[in-house]
Amino acid sequence: MAVEVINLAEREADRAMAKTIREITIEVGDLSGIEADSFESALGLLAKDSILANALINIKKTPGTGRCNSCNYEFNMSQRMATCPKCQAFPSEVSGGQEFILMSLVIE
Amino acid sequence: MCETCGCGKPGEFTIHDPNQAHDHEHSSDHKHDHEHSNDHVHDHDHPHDHEHDPWHSHEHDHDHGHSHGSSHDQSQKRLIDLNLDILSENNRLAQLNRRFFEGRKVLCLNLVSSPGSGKTTILEKTIIALKHSCKMFVIEGDQQTQLDAKRIEKAGSRAVQINTGSGCHLDARMIESALKKLDIDSSSILFVENVGNLVCPAMFDLGEHKRVVVISVTEGDDKPLKYPNMFMTSHLCLINKSDLLPWVDFNTEETIKHARSMNPGLEFIIVSAKTGEGMNLWFEWLSKQAESVISPLKL
Repeated sequence: MAVEVINLAEREADRAMAKTIREITIEVGDLSGIEADSFESALGLLAKDSILANALINIKKTPGTGRCNSCNYEFNMSQRMATCPKCQAFPSEVSGGQEFILMSLVIE
Repeated sequence: MCETCGCGKPGEFTIHDPNQAHDHEHSSDHKHDHEHSNDHVHDHDHPHDHEHDPWHSHEHDHDHGHSHGSSHDQSQKRLIDLNLDILSENNRLAQLNRRFFEGRKVLCLNLVSSPGSGKTTILEKTIIALKHSCKMFVIEGDQQTQLDAKRIEKAGSRAVQINTGSGCHLDARMIESALKKLDIDSSSILFVENVGNLVCPAMFDLGEHKRVVVISVTEGDDKPLKYPNMFMTSHLCLINKSDLLPWVDFNTEETIKHARSMNPGLEFIIVSAKTGEGMNLWFEWLSKQAESVISPLKL
C-alpha cells in the first residue's frame, strides 16, 4: 500500500512539475481495511528513498460510522460487525470510515 | 479563481481525478458553491471563517479586502488537492485485465486464503480431474520459490509464478505482466492463486470474474469475524480439509453464519481436496461459472 502511495505521489508531482514534495496528507478510514499505524510506519520507511524523502507525512484518520438497517440510527462503529446501540438489531451498514485517499500534496 | 482546485481561468495548474465527480467538496474546511458561469460573479456572502492554509492563496474577484494573516511569499510552495483513491490505478489496470478476459473468453478466478489452507492441492486435483474438459492456466503468487508453479505444471497445466519478494499480495499490474508470459488460450479457465494472506489481497482487484476464499477446518471458525474484508469481497467460500472435521473444534454452521451476516450472497462448498469429498460440487460450481463466460464444462 505504501508503494502505491509513493507511486501516485510521484506521478502527481511529475504532472505538477514539482521539484520536491514537502508534505503529503492521506486519509485512512478506520474501516478501510488499512491499519493506519502500520501503514504509517511502512510509508515512513519506504519514503526515505523516494520523492517523499523530505516530506512531512500527515495521516488523517476518520472514524468508522454505521447505520442501522432497522431503525436508521447512525453511530460510531469500531468494527464492521456491530449491533445497533439503539435497537440492538443486526447487521448494520457501514456508512463512513472506508476511505483510503491521497488527499493533498504540498509541492515546491 | 480558486487555486485549490484550479477551476476558473484556463491554463492554471489543475489536477483532476477522472474517477471522482467534480463536485467541489473541498477536503479542507473550505466549502463553497461553484455553480459559477463564465464571468464568475460571486455575489454571495463570503464570511471567510474557514481556516486558511498558509500555502493556499485564494483570490476572488470580488472586493471585500480581506487579508490573510499568512504570508503568501513563501517560495513556490503550492498545495494541490487531489482527493485520489489510492487504489484507483490498480482498479484501472484491473479493468483492462477484465476486458482482456472478456475478449478471449477466459474465466478468471482469484483464489485467496491464509497460508496452508490447501489452495494448491485443490488446484492440482481440479486440473487432474478436468484437464480433458477445459484448458486451464494458473498464475501462482508467492513471496519466494517456484514450488507451487512446478506442482501445477506436474498436474498438467501451464503455470507462471510471480514472486512478490516482500510484497504480500498480487496486484493488477503483476497479472498483466504474467499474462504476457502465459500466452493463454481463448475459451479457457485462468486460476490466480494469490499470496497466502487474508488481509491485503482483499483490497486489490485483479480483474477476476469471481473471488474464491479458501479456509481449512484447522483454522478456526472465527476467521470470517477476524478478516471481514476478505469474506465480504468473495463470491464463494471453500471450506477445505473436511476429512479432519472429526478431530478439530470447527463449527461449520457458525462459520457460515458469521460470513453470511456480512455477505449474505456468499456461497459455501465443503470439500476435502485430499479425499475428494465435495469436489464434485466445486466442479459443478466451476462449470456454472464457465457457462456464463465460455460454455458449460463436460464433467
